[in-house]
Amino acid sequence: MNVIELEDVVKRYRSGEEIIEALKGVDFQADRGEMVTVIGPSGSGKSTMLNIIGLLDTPTEGTVRLDGRNVTDFSEDELTEERRSGIGFVFQDFHLLPMLTATENVELPSMWDTSVDRHDRAIDLLERVGLGDRLEHTPKQLSGGQKQRVAIARALINEPDILLADEPTGNLDQDTGETILEELTRLKEEEDVAIVAVTHDEQMLQYTDSTVRIVDGVIQEVVPA
Amino acid sequence: MSVADVLWRFPSALMAWRNLGRNRVRTGLAALGIVIGVIAIASLGMAGAAIQQQATTDLGGLASEVTVSAGEDSEQDGLTDDQVAEMRAIAGDAPVVPQKSNATRLTSRSGEEVFVSVTAVEQANVLYNVTTGDSPDRLESGALISASTAEQLGLEIGDPVEYDGRLYRIRGLIGSSQGFGGGGNELVLPLSALSDQQYYDSVTIEASDGDQATAISDGLEERFNEGDEEVISVTNFAGVQDNIDSFLNTLNLALLGIGSISLVVASVAILNVMLMSTIERRGEIGVLRAVGIRRGEVLRMILTEAAFLGVIGGFLGALVSLGVGMLMFDLIADDALLVFGWSSFRYLFYGFGFAVFASLLSGLYPAWKAANDRPVDALRG
Repeated sequence: MNVIELEDVVKRYRSGEEIIEALKGVDFQADRGEMVTVIGPSGSGKSTMLNIIGLLDTPTEGTVRLDGRNVTDFSEDELTEERRSGIGFVFQDFHLLPMLTATENVELPSMWDTSVDRHDRAIDLLERVGLGDRLEHTPKQLSGGQKQRVAIARALINEPDILLADEPTGNLDQDTGETILEELTRLKEEEDVAIVAVTHDEQMLQYTDSTVRIVDGVIQEVVPA
Repeated sequence: MSVADVLWRFPSALMAWRNLGRNRVRTGLAALGIVIGVIAIASLGMAGAAIQQQATTDLGGLASEVTVSAGEDSEQDGLTDDQVAEMRAIAGDAPVVPQKSNATRLTSRSGEEVFVSVTAVEQANVLYNVTTGDSPDRLESGALISASTAEQLGLEIGDPVEYDGRLYRIRGLIGSSQGFGGGGNELVLPLSALSDQQYYDSVTIEASDGDQATAISDGLEERFNEGDEEVISVTNFAGVQDNIDSFLNTLNLALLGIGSISLVVASVAILNVMLMSTIERRGEIGVLRAVGIRRGEVLRMILTEAAFLGVIGGFLGALVSLGVGMLMFDLIADDALLVFGWSSFRYLFYGFGFAVFASLLSGLYPAWKAANDRPVDALRG
């Protein structure tokens, strides 16, 4: 069963006087252990789609299913719970909190959860992305590639079903981007997680299981690798 | 064990602590505003307390004194022994001091004449502060005289004064008397000196405080004066004390009001700082919300930041105020340690509590705003 599924999703929003239709009936799905890459020109609606998959935004029409459950009409608080337990995010600008160490940044999503102690898992994840010697470093003391690896570890801390990556290599040089993609591919299998990535980066297509091209809010083609 | 280790178990507190540490200058300035506000409130409150305390000490003797003399409807020209005995019964353990009075001229060796009021009394120590010599609780022989009068006449302890053909040896010099009307030329003699006067001119009752004085006055009025009759005339200044107290309370409130304004200004500054810092961190708070941090948790985190500012500022402010208060009490009441009395010390708690409260109040709007920002909007920064 697909862990995430969009069915005929439409998203409209107002921009001044205009009503913009960012997504015009999109169908999409991804399964655990699979990496799906979404490509398309700027303003094509790929970020809007990623926000809806990540439960950061809700569709105007259509259905969103998480693990087969319809979450379309969930309240903001329910969506927060779903994000906490089931979705990890990796951003283009890393978005690490500057006053926290690498380990603390990884623990952040579970920090308020006193029922579980994720400290050991945080250290384990950091070791697995090659940052075993950077546990107590703050983001300022880390390179771009190291920051993105901390961000990936953070995205995986709560054992999510889905990892969403918005231009994960966008702020990295070619070589660093490549190692990040290798890291993601490996973790995808180890953690049995679905990865949905939005990118402009051509090299990403070598690592993906399938590619979705979106233009003007409509999915143009699905290319299985 | 560092602060962070302890705070780790309280994630809101940990995050708040780290956030405040990111911009120490801004945190310091925001806390300074609170410090100044607390100093204003606490110092002005303590100044009021110091003035009140000193006024009560200065006027205490006056307010607790009840003076009785014969009224318009009295059958005789003065108060009788029987009446005094009844007053003793009403006054309970408060000393009741009957007096006879007169006036006379004293002449110095050099021929200088001084007009003095003569008071004949037994328990002289109740009414007079003797600065030099002894103050007898039963004056049966000898005399007391105002220090200033003695100086004018060139008299010293042991010198004789003459009244009504008899000589009295000076046993003590009277300093300034308590309450109003002091400072005149006074000669205090045993009751026997005025034995030709049958009645007492006045009776002074020294209550322990203003409340007891009022109670005794009421008891006397009830016992002696029926209806509109005025057999005895009762005077006490407890009412004056009440007026002064109420004036001082008003003064205190006015001072506190002025102090509060500065704390209001400080909390507006905190509101501004918190609002700025949450707007600056909008994207960061968006990340928190995206990775599943609940709205209430974001709210708590920002409120905790505001509370920390209030606690830090309030504590430092209270500490400085304590110093200011000690200085004030040293100047006004000559005893710096009086600041630890509850009537003034409580203003440190008020100031601290007000600071924390005002900070939390100022943090409420920024916290609410940040917590309810849609993550998808917040993430765009």
